[in-house]
Amino acid sequence: MYLHSNGQKRVRFLKKHVLAQIALSLWCFTFSFASPLRIQEMLNKRISLDLENKRMEVVLKTISKLSGASFMYSPELIRSERKVSVSAQNQTLDSVLHELLDPLNITFEAHENQILLRRNRSSAFDPSFPGDSPLSEQAWAENRVTGKVTDEKGEPLPGVNILIKGTQRGMTTDFSGAFEIVVPSDESVLIFSFVGYLSQEVTVGGRSRIEITLQPDQKTLEELVVVGYGTQRKSSLTSAISKVENRKLDQMPAGRAESALVGRLAGVNIAQTRSLPGAAPTITVRGPGSISASNDPLIVIDGFPGGSFSNINMNDVESIEVLKDASSAAIYGSRGSGGVIIITTKKGSQGKPKLNVNSYVGISQPLLHGRDKWIPGGQEFYDYTARYINRDYYWAGGDISLPLWGDERRPAQYRVNPVIAEGDWNWEEILLQPAPMQNYSVSVSGSRNDAKYYVSANIMDEKGSMMTTRYKQYLLRANVGLDISPRVHAGLMISPNYTIRRSNYGGSLQNLIKMPPFLSPELQPDGRYLTPRDYWGMTVSGGVNPLATVLGSHNFTHTFNNVGEVFTRFNLLKGLDFKTSFGFNVSYSTTDNYAEAKVTANNQASGSASDSRVFNWINENVLSYYRQFGRHELNVIAGASYQHNQSRTAALAVQAGTFANPTIWTLNNAIISPTGSYTSKSQWGLASYFSRVNYNFDDKYLLSASLRSDGSSRFGPDNRWGYFPSASVAWRVSQEPFFKGVRGIDELKLRASYGAVGNFNIGDFQYLGTIGDAVYSPGDQLIQGKAPSSFGNSELQWEKTASYDIGIELGLLNNRINLVLDYYNKATNNLLYNVSIPAISGFTNTIVNVGDIVNRGFEIELTTRNFVNRFKWETAFNFTFNKNHVKSLGGGADQVLNSHSRGMSWILKEGEPMFSYYAYRMAGVLQTPEDMVNYPIMPNQRIGTVRYEDVNKDGQITPDDRVILGNFMPKVFMGMVNDFAYRNFDLTIAMQSSLGAKMWNLENLYYQGPTVSAFLIPTIENQWWSPDEPGDGKHPATSLASLEFVSNSDYYLENASFLAIRNINLGYTIPSKITQKLKIDQLRFYLSVSNALIFKHKDFKGYNPEGFTSAGISGINSQPGHNDGTEPINRVWALGLNLNF
Amino acid sequence: MKGLLRISIICSSLWVTSCDVVNLEPISTLTEANFYKTADDMDRAVLGVYNRLQSRLPRDWSVFEMPTDHLYMSAYRFIGGLEAVNTLDFQAQNDIFRNFWQTTYNGIYRANMVLDKIDNPSNYAAGQKEKLEGEARFMRALFYFDLVRSFGGVPKVDRPLTVEESKSMPRATEAEIYQLIVDDLKKAVELLPVQSGTVYGRASKGAATALLGKVYIYLEDWQSAYNFLNQVDQYGYGLVDNFADLWKESNEDNKEAIFAVKYLPGSNGHRLSLDFLPYFGVEGISNSTGGEVALVGWSLHKQYLEEDTRKAATITEYWRSPGTNDPLEWKPYISKFIAQQASASGLDIPVIRYADVVLLKSEALYRLGRKEEALTELNRVRTRAFKGTSHNYTLADIASDDQFLDVLLLERQLELALENQRWFDLIRTNRFIQVLSKVEWGYNPITQTAQEVTLTPKPSHRRFPIPQHEIDQAYPNVITQNEGY
Repeated sequence: MYLHSNGQKRVRFLKKHVLAQIALSLWCFTFSFASPLRIQEMLNKRISLDLENKRMEVVLKTISKLSGASFMYSPELIRSERKVSVSAQNQTLDSVLHELLDPLNITFEAHENQILLRRNRSSAFDPSFPGDSPLSEQAWAENRVTGKVTDEKGEPLPGVNILIKGTQRGMTTDFSGAFEIVVPSDESVLIFSFVGYLSQEVTVGGRSRIEITLQPDQKTLEELVVVGYGTQRKSSLTSAISKVENRKLDQMPAGRAESALVGRLAGVNIAQTRSLPGAAPTITVRGPGSISASNDPLIVIDGFPGGSFSNINMNDVESIEVLKDASSAAIYGSRGSGGVIIITTKKGSQGKPKLNVNSYVGISQPLLHGRDKWIPGGQEFYDYTARYINRDYYWAGGDISLPLWGDERRPAQYRVNPVIAEGDWNWEEILLQPAPMQNYSVSVSGSRNDAKYYVSANIMDEKGSMMTTRYKQYLLRANVGLDISPRVHAGLMISPNYTIRRSNYGGSLQNLIKMPPFLSPELQPDGRYLTPRDYWGMTVSGGVNPLATVLGSHNFTHTFNNVGEVFTRFNLLKGLDFKTSFGFNVSYSTTDNYAEAKVTANNQASGSASDSRVFNWINENVLSYYRQFGRHELNVIAGASYQHNQSRTAALAVQAGTFANPTIWTLNNAIISPTGSYTSKSQWGLASYFSRVNYNFDDKYLLSASLRSDGSSRFGPDNRWGYFPSASVAWRVSQEPFFKGVRGIDELKLRASYGAVGNFNIGDFQYLGTIGDAVYSPGDQLIQGKAPSSFGNSELQWEKTASYDIGIELGLLNNRINLVLDYYNKATNNLLYNVSIPAISGFTNTIVNVGDIVNRGFEIELTTRNFVNRFKWETAFNFTFNKNHVKSLGGGADQVLNSHSRGMSWILKEGEPMFSYYAYRMAGVLQTPEDMVNYPIMPNQRIGTVRYEDVNKDGQITPDDRVILGNFMPKVFMGMVNDFAYRNFDLTIAMQSSLGAKMWNLENLYYQGPTVSAFLIPTIENQWWSPDEPGDGKHPATSLASLEFVSNSDYYLENASFLAIRNINLGYTIPSKITQKLKIDQLRFYLSVSNALIFKHKDFKGYNPEGFTSAGISGINSQPGHNDGTEPINRVWALGLNLNF
Repeated sequence: MKGLLRISIICSSLWVTSCDVVNLEPISTLTEANFYKTADDMDRAVLGVYNRLQSRLPRDWSVFEMPTDHLYMSAYRFIGGLEAVNTLDFQAQNDIFRNFWQTTYNGIYRANMVLDKIDNPSNYAAGQKEKLEGEARFMRALFYFDLVRSFGGVPKVDRPLTVEESKSMPRATEAEIYQLIVDDLKKAVELLPVQSGTVYGRASKGAATALLGKVYIYLEDWQSAYNFLNQVDQYGYGLVDNFADLWKESNEDNKEAIFAVKYLPGSNGHRLSLDFLPYFGVEGISNSTGGEVALVGWSLHKQYLEEDTRKAATITEYWRSPGTNDPLEWKPYISKFIAQQASASGLDIPVIRYADVVLLKSEALYRLGRKEEALTELNRVRTRAFKGTSHNYTLADIASDDQFLDVLLLERQLELALENQRWFDLIRTNRFIQVLSKVEWGYNPITQTAQEVTLTPKPSHRRFPIPQHEIDQAYPNVITQNEGY
């Protein structure tokens, strides 16, 4: 029994809860944007009408239209279905209302432009009300109860329904939240209910005054969820959608908005693979399904598809929804296969301007291995180096009893210079140090006359814990909504932002950290940094000093990006709206690189520059129709969308060694290289038509179906168009009469969905046979020759993902426990990927549509409100299990293998997870010369290397002995967020766990001493050093000279499971008594710690179990799970404040 | 309803844009649809064929020198499968064979595309079309010559194939491939201009003639071989006076360069120079890095007499760490291809040079029983190497045919070391089992001992294995494996 009014319900609802999501809803604003008039002005407004025997609600609606006022009432209490007549000629609103309502014993109260209708306090008895009788009225006359209802913040709640339990008698609170009601007895129970709040039952118990606070129903079933092209009530969803509201997400000290979502969404794995400032994490929704066409989800920002988290300030975010199953994503058709993430930004709030300030300063502290994990400089380092080099010498057949230094008989490369025993520097500590970060956000939102606005500004400055790296971002946003007329609404959104990023070393951290402890970081008097070979010309690593690298490399990327959109929404007919929008995303990026001579191996300064420009416009036109008739509810949309993307890149390179002097770093100081400089342009376009029907019968049976067709320029003329249908149904069992008796279960919904989505993320024009450059220099003249660079394939078409999802939603104990279970099966067919073809065709591979990959899994989302009173504790837990396998590779191939030069392979094989590791299994170490005879070995294998398992027992180690050794994907990942509140304190703890992923941690190799470098103890302990020091039989000799007989096994595969406390946020809100005096609505201080604790598997030796240097899955030659040295995770301590005026 | 009307007008006008949005043309990319139209297009397409050889050639040593007695593996193992080649552990899975196969067939494809489209343009200058066709045929023959010598009979692709066709094409016989090579080269001899009619780095009549003569050597048709090799002289080629001058960038376009692939330092350079450099670089060449992928074997090294000018031009024996005043260390490395800009060297790489032609001619003459003339040719090369006739052979030195083969192969080894001739010379003369059973790798001058290594060459090694990957890509049983693998 909710309050119902001609649209006003929504406004109320809007104010209290979901604010802006609703702005996207196409049908709820029909009457809600009347201009605010002053009360008296409104009541004095003159209207004329003549209605005979019409339903009360129709009459009120008419008055509302004529006067601009909107009504708020409980349909039951005023019996809005009864028929009345009213007639007025140029009368004031006030007199019309009196004329209409007084005889019905209904009073009215006006506030701003709202008019609250209530039953007359002095006469709770209404003779026309069924079930009421004058007799009982008299009997109750003694027990008159007054009181006040407030919300959780102590603000009065007008319009709250108060019902005497077991009767249909009731009352509504007035604008000050006050009520007065006559009850039959002391035992009477009053039920207080209000949209968006938990109902409360109170026994009168002889009291004459009752003050009560209603608690918001966070998980109310009336919660709105943003879906593609609209919103839906959560209760009527038929598909798998996860939602995160921005409650404290903007208080996590992190450069990227995605980081705040880690561990909060079932089925969504967000992995922070690199820890450089501004580095984007990888997001995978329900497992990867594509080989070459990208597994990234589509990001939709306020309806603009194809955005990026890098352009988002978390402070501006209202909520984030993830459309996980194909049924919900199908409305984005062609691009939904990686899932869809919808970001909704804040919109203007009603009423006076509200200022919000959110700011924090913090410090990033890298989680290092620590000094005690490294072999210190000095004698110990010398000894280890000597062991390392003697081992190589032993293999080369040398006499290791020869003196290590000063003996001509020992070949140069096997000598050890005693100079390396001097100095004790730890390069990890030198390069990685705590670094500050700061973030300032200010936003103002409000409304004035016909306009609502939200504007914000944000400055973020994050220094990397890796020396000299930095990320600065300046963001602005304006979201404006305009009511041009009662039927026309328009909006504007712009979000320009500018980022500056400095990333001062290329590739992998190991190149720097591996430096031996004798290498000094001190600047020499001649302005140089020493290199290892300054100490000892021979044998040591040839690199430059890491400080020269990081201080001498000047790599800057400046990016300007703006997503902007304007839209207009017309209300054409009752329930029928048309919205048309034009949006664009414009992006400019420039990169300037300069490496000082000291950085480079050949002591020549180098430089390059590149520019890129992307202009992407989109036009969308959507008709939507909403109608409720009886127990039927119908919501239909139909629309068309056109998108065009143009890009241009320019690159400039200089000829090696031509910088005229080290003073000027720009390229005007050097000779431009003809082969490295170019401009190029490309474009793609997408035209789409879509429609969707949502039908709801009696809130019990829900049905949704959609169809989208997309045409893409990336496919040949005959295969451009793809069709993406979906259908889903849900049954709210708990709404059935037979279920009413079931105690404890408030909500039980069963749902099932099926849908198809597509993928077109291949390069532009790949269906055409392209001709590329093939430069040659006959006669010493450089000429751009040409040669075919790809096979044309006019048959190329959409990659399609068809998936079904079965879900159960359960609400228990007054919805204090909410459980959502989903099982899904996601099959990606017609994979777009480069299959191998016979090289005699001229090419080794060509892009085709073959093969299937399946992801199956289940998800649990469990939210509980453990304590709801003074001490509040809420828990949100999610669990995801995903299993990926290749169903078919097509083209006659049953496996595809790609190999790293150090021996590890990645395999695509039918029945196995995609890109599984494929190599030899280590059975032990060849410890003694006898082992070399007793066990099968590979040709040229050395003692001390891996003893391989002879899988096929044929007495030799051949490629047939290779086996599948796990993969990079976690089998299970979980997240848990606990929110606590007590008095003015609040605490949030967010945790994340991932189980079952394996990393090929080749990084270890660099910390094992090759060519005289640092030794990381966990990577070298118990190794085989010589027949006299054979180690523990589990750790082979890891020398470069024998590495191929180590790294082609599972020796470097490590368990990358972990449990992380990703964020702890402790806040204190200054009591309102104090803040009110300062005219502040709210002032909260918080301490936030990101990556507070990480528990890694004991065998894991890297910095970051999610840290991969390989770029995930991006084509058939991907080597996901390979780590060559990612940065340590940063623990960030931040102190922030949140201020609302 | 007015609104509805308006909207339907808007919508229908948007229908039009849907075509504009979707029917797009590439802006920066050439396609088969808009290329191969003009004479200039065809000229560039021919350069594309050379480009493929240009990119393959710098690493050809990994296939043709690594299995011989010229090189052995260092401790720096950057190239997967190299050690297996070094130790004659030939496997069909080895990426080195696979890459060689794939790159070479890509070159053939490019040549086939040129020949397929050669009739398209109508704006050829006089003789241009003939020249371009001759070049494409020359290059196709050269690619097939490499393939047939490596693998035996291979699929005979003489036109662009569809993917489907490529999966069902079996191997041709060795004879069929040689027939294609001979046909192409004869046509090329006819079509190509002489050296003065073209630029260095492009095929000429002389190059096609020399290559055809060489092909006949492999076919053991000594008379035809002699005829064509002898014809080469009429195009003005000759030996450069000083062997070391052959390996100088300033002297690249010399009279000995019958066909060499051109490189430009920096912008169009290669890494061969760097590959053999010591890991820690060489002062003045590459101050801090070298590839040191393979080291010079003592088996080759010891063959050079001190007075042979080719020794210093091929091998550098002593080294010091760049940027130091350390004493020189014994660390022999291949220095034949060293160029100033090691990582992007502009030094041209010879494919067929006049000294090779002279030695081949000597061989043909000897086989034809013209022993005196054979020695005259052989001695031309030795005279140049030793700056005089002091080391010339006389008929008295050559007691038997076998002994002639000994001195001939030695001379080819010394003269053409690391020019990708040794493996084929050993195979075609059937000497590989004898020579490669025991090889010497490293040498310690203090102890004066060489590291002797026993290998097990087998008759099946005469052919490399067909890459397993390629067998797998074809339909089952279409591509057969060579015997012994």
